[in-house]
Amino acid sequence: MSVLELRNIAKSFAATAALKDMNLAIEPGEIHAIVGENGAGKSTLIKIMTGVHQPDSGEISVDGKVVSVRSTQDAQSLGIAAIYQEPMVFPDLDVAENIFISNRAEGAFMNWKHMYAEAARLIDQLGVTLDVHRAASGLTLAEQQTVEIARALSLNVKVLIMDEPTASLSAHEVARLLNIARALKAKGVAVIYISHRLDEIFQVADRVTVIRDGQHISTKPLAEVTPDGMVKDMVGRAVDTHAVKTAANPHGPSVLRLENLGREGVFRGISFDLSQGEVLCFAGLVGARRTDVGLALFGIAPATEGRILIDGQEVTIRNPQEAMAKSIAYVSEDRRKMGLAMTLPIFANISLASLGKLLGAFGIIDRKAELAMADKYRNQLAIKSADVTTDVGKLSGGNQQKVMLAKWLETKPRILIFDEPTRGVDVGAKAEVHNIIRKLAKEGVAVLVISSDLPEVLALADRVLVMREGKQAGILDIAEASQEKVIGMAAGHEARLPEVIA
Amino acid sequence: MIAKIHPQTLRIIALFVALLATILFFSTQIDSYLSPRMFTRISTSAAVILPIAVGQAIVVMTRNIDLSVGSTVGMVAYLTGQFLGLHPDLNPLLVALLAMGIGAFMGAINGVLVSWGRVPSIIVTLGTLALYRSFLVQYSDAKTITTASLPQWIVDLPQANAFSLFGLDVRVTVVLALSAAVAMGLALTRLRAARRFYAVGSNPDAAMMAGINSAMVIFTAFVLSGAFAGLSGLIFLAKFGNITVVAGMGFELKAVAAVVVGGVSILGGSGSMIGVVIGCVLVDTIDNSLTRWELVSEFWRDALLGMLIMAAVTVDTVMSRSLGRLGAKKGAA
Repeated sequence: MSVLELRNIAKSFAATAALKDMNLAIEPGEIHAIVGENGAGKSTLIKIMTGVHQPDSGEISVDGKVVSVRSTQDAQSLGIAAIYQEPMVFPDLDVAENIFISNRAEGAFMNWKHMYAEAARLIDQLGVTLDVHRAASGLTLAEQQTVEIARALSLNVKVLIMDEPTASLSAHEVARLLNIARALKAKGVAVIYISHRLDEIFQVADRVTVIRDGQHISTKPLAEVTPDGMVKDMVGRAVDTHAVKTAANPHGPSVLRLENLGREGVFRGISFDLSQGEVLCFAGLVGARRTDVGLALFGIAPATEGRILIDGQEVTIRNPQEAMAKSIAYVSEDRRKMGLAMTLPIFANISLASLGKLLGAFGIIDRKAELAMADKYRNQLAIKSADVTTDVGKLSGGNQQKVMLAKWLETKPRILIFDEPTRGVDVGAKAEVHNIIRKLAKEGVAVLVISSDLPEVLALADRVLVMREGKQAGILDIAEASQEKVIGMAAGHEARLPEVIA
Repeated sequence: MIAKIHPQTLRIIALFVALLATILFFSTQIDSYLSPRMFTRISTSAAVILPIAVGQAIVVMTRNIDLSVGSTVGMVAYLTGQFLGLHPDLNPLLVALLAMGIGAFMGAINGVLVSWGRVPSIIVTLGTLALYRSFLVQYSDAKTITTASLPQWIVDLPQANAFSLFGLDVRVTVVLALSAAVAMGLALTRLRAARRFYAVGSNPDAAMMAGINSAMVIFTAFVLSGAFAGLSGLIFLAKFGNITVVAGMGFELKAVAAVVVGGVSILGGSGSMIGVVIGCVLVDTIDNSLTRWELVSEFWRDALLGMLIMAAVTVDTVMSRSLGRLGAKKGAA
């Protein structure tokens, strides 16, 4: 009998149908991958399973009994829990308390000793080492996820939904998370695994369900699934998923030169030359401090040692204004925190960094020109929205990424830094973003891409700079770079190559 | 190595040192400062503020604030005093329950508006601060509760000694206030339900996802804040006997000062009752000492309280920022 079954579920928001007639059956002890493009209805599906939204029609049954899931508490008591890309922990509480905070079975009084012992036991079951006395504020994202999984386990979870759990993890952490998923499966827990990373799905899933436009397209055992077929099901057409660049593009004179750049206590010894039209990718594990180099170049957390030369002239960059004056742009990885004003419309986001150009008489913004500017990018970058007055918060991840890109393109940068340009972006939009980056390079922009997604690095880079623990581990030419080589360099001597299926 | 001492513990120690330094400083400035009389003066004055600060701390832990407490104290003091005038034989325990009940009701109004009305607490309680006060003015018709109308036991209460320690008299009101702090302190470390105050303040989204009923938790915090303000109202009534419409005015400033000085993060999620007690004593020591310090006009008292709040919050943000940096470094290793 299925542990969780959805029958004919439909859900609409205003006029938009997010789910139409969705059917899904989850068996105990299986890892069931659900894939689909952004906007396919995955988020709505999760929210219905966890009681955040109620379906308009259709029924949900758990262990064969029809149930109503009206809140996260309901879902919890039915044994359904979820973990997300951004872990949900309480930074001020320690690991053990985070695990047991909502556990009613623990009684009215705190039994700290018992709680620590239980927490340690749960963490141990997941095959992870983690001090249960540590405050959650000091944990890495991967550790925070472990805490969340242990919390679900403590509540006798029957179905654990993992929503893009590896989007922010390094290769080692991904391998560890996949092991945790296998450990849960061995305990009879059903894991619903949602990811954009197809290689992970091929490593871990038992069955794969593809959804598109709010509808169930297919559910197949892994053995019957091929990457190309899966992607075709997802987008409804064939997409080239693993283009690998084999030779560097020709490029022009040097624009940016770093000599032993460093920031005290963060990173040091970064040296490279970047030419017009060249794409240099920063690869490395999470925590290798790649983003910090980008932040230093953009003046957010300025460098404290070494030299930055632009067109052969030494410059200092102490804040983003100075960076922008030198035609540097930075497309941040954290769209929500650093990239976009979610409550403002598309046009206001696009014009934000170049308002100076739009000033008319008396310093008043020329709204017509502003809208025209935004509209130009909406067409050019194929931002999917009826008009440019829609709030950015309502767009999908891929389209938000394009809006952010438009904002920086309008500043006409000569040096463009991308930090994780396709994180949380679906396959179709990912290919589009890659094409935009290639086109920019062709037009002579010097591009720096920081990415944890190795296939992406290999598809974009002319050269790959590998960082390890705040230092430059080496630079590889694209002709000599391979996934194995980059991972080996990034992990250093302790390298145990994780299995990677491209 | 430094991490061995919990930052919160470090904070309590620092606070304690600050308190000692303050006392030491004033003892060089004011004649016969280190006397049993001064101890009684400061401790009984702090006893009025401490229960409010205890309730305020719970509210602040959940990322909210209760600015209405001063007016609640005034209302409770007046209504309880009036009721006692009509029913002088009422059992003291019932009187305390009545006072806390009235306070809890007023807190519940705040709580409903914040939790289910979704209005930011600073706006709700700013509104009720004015509303409750105006209601009191209207209701009292500018009449004053006087000592003469009160039963003898409550008039005698402020002078009643619980016990003496090294020649220092510890009043019953002080014990009453302290027991409120101790009870809440025990609850916060021992009761599972009370840990939710920390959880909701630490990460509201995570609390929602963990199946915690945040609205109920925040509502409870406001009810507690009101109830504790009610207890303060009773102590206030006993201490002063004469209650006018301005009773308890400005207490919210002192309560917030005691709470943030006592190390409860204004960003929610952390804080301890021991800190609140020391913070409260420190605030009241400074307040009471300034009235006796000849070099400074006592009109500077509020200004100093204001500066104290800003300094405490500044230290708080600077500290959490540098702690965050430390944490980030550890995470990278």
